Amino acid sequence: MNGHALLEAREVTVRFGGLVAVDAVSAAFAPGELVGIIGPNGAGKTTFFNALSGVIAPTAGEIFADGQRLTGRQPHRYAHQGVARTFQTPRVFADLSVADNVNFGLQFAGRGRTASWLLKDTASILNLIGLAAQAALPAAAITPSQQRLLEIGMALATRPKLLLLDEVAAGLTESEVQAMAQLIRRLRDELDLTVIWIEHAVTTLLRHVERVLVLHQGRKIADGTPAEVVRNPEVIEAYLGDEMVEPA
Amino acid sequence: MMKKELLILLALTGWALAVPHYGSEFAVSMALTCLMYAALSSSWGLFCGSTRYLSLATSAFFGIGAYTGALLLETTPWLAAVGLGALAAAAVAVVMGAAVLHLRGTYFAVLTFGMTELIHHAISYWEKQVMGTVGRVLTVVPDRDTIYLTVLGLAVLAVLTSIIVRRSRFGLALAGIGADEQRAQTLGVNTRLVKVLGFAITAAFAGAVGAAMSVRWTYIDPATVFNPFIGFQTVLIALIGGAATLWGPLIAAVVFSLLAETLRLQAPQLYLMSLGLLLIICVLYLPGGLASLKRETFTQWRADTAGWWRGLRTKQGDA
Repeated sequence: MNGHALLEAREVTVRFGGLVAVDAVSAAFAPGELVGIIGPNGAGKTTFFNALSGVIAPTAGEIFADGQRLTGRQPHRYAHQGVARTFQTPRVFADLSVADNVNFGLQFAGRGRTASWLLKDTASILNLIGLAAQAALPAAAITPSQQRLLEIGMALATRPKLLLLDEVAAGLTESEVQAMAQLIRRLRDELDLTVIWIEHAVTTLLRHVERVLVLHQGRKIADGTPAEVVRNPEVIEAYLGDEMVEPA
Repeated sequence: MMKKELLILLALTGWALAVPHYGSEFAVSMALTCLMYAALSSSWGLFCGSTRYLSLATSAFFGIGAYTGALLLETTPWLAAVGLGALAAAAVAVVMGAAVLHLRGTYFAVLTFGMTELIHHAISYWEKQVMGTVGRVLTVVPDRDTIYLTVLGLAVLAVLTSIIVRRSRFGLALAGIGADEQRAQTLGVNTRLVKVLGFAITAAFAGAVGAAMSVRWTYIDPATVFNPFIGFQTVLIALIGGAATLWGPLIAAVVFSLLAETLRLQAPQLYLMSLGLLLIICVLYLPGGLASLKRETFTQWRADTAGWWRGLRTKQGDA
């Protein structure tokens, strides 16, 4: 592995009783990379994310963030080390206002961290994610697609170096998906963030990322550019009958 | 907003200060009960209301404070004994919290109750087997006004702490834990530390109140000071008042002590029945507690009336 990986998983295994959800997956993510993770249902994508963000302690293997060994540490340590994440089902603080939801991260992991002017304060983050007009509304009152944006805003408020996005485009309309992809590109380009993006809709994802990891039954079966991955016979077999058969 | 809250607190303190000078013995006793539950429920709500960890361990901390105070009172000044009672309870809370605060909901509630019983019976056993006598008579007891002022001070301190914590990052962390603990963690909150600290603050108040109140009884034994009813009543008061609100526990503490002191002696069944009835009404119709009655119901009612009045006047203008 190269020495300057921002986040590195070494032989990470997560077992639930007899089920091996993630099976000895190794991966390293360099600063500024935009990486996608795909895989059929139950491939272990979200479990892998949970391990990468400290939400689940891996059964075996090691996780390093920015050179620090974080295996088995609490999630707040990951956040303080610059690893931020969103959840598949938005987990916003429903009773708090949109602005207070964003402010939460600024008060904890984001506090005292140097950040781009785009993440200067609550107002600038709300502008970045396009929710400035909803700032005073309770988070429970905004639309589900706005809640997905708010999830990203909450994660950005921790002023991270790396952002883990779990199916942020699920359930969005085609134009909303385009806007989301543009936002994600912008986060990478202007904030110099490393972005790791899980999406179930493979074609959407392959269009926007530069590198893609394929998980199947908990194992990593491919890791390369989208063009390489769609030609990989193992990937084609894993996805047989799924949307991947007609590559983008 | 904070200024307003402090002013209300100041006014209430003034009223409470006046009671021993003008009130009858009965009124003072009632006010003391009221202040005791105000302190217990406010500090309970500070941690349990915002994080939604339902602790039934108040009696344990109360009892530990009472015993610590009783042991020290002959050799230590009054306020130091109360302070050490608080410290002892907080220390036990840190240990207990580290053991059970990773559990949620019913498991947490049941375990805190179990630990209270464990401490209660451990002390009974120790007294029986090692000391040879159960309970102890308190010989050095401060006068009534000192006790009253101390409990009043604790109640004011509990509300003051709540006011300050609500505006602090610590309070935000507690609220985040209550809303979605894991989400708060991924946003950088050291939830274990925050929970243990919050639990210890709650316990310290219960311990101090225990130390201050036990002297009123002149004789204490484990069954009196570890009485689970103290813990239940604290929880009920906080829930009925609105555990997540600042004034809710205080309002309910007043209602309760009025009920307790007037009904308990004449009609004990009626007292428990009204307790139960109040809880049922609050759970069903006022999940935010009595405090939410003031905030939402009345402002809505006022807005409706104002709207109706405006409508009436424009209609008159048209005609």
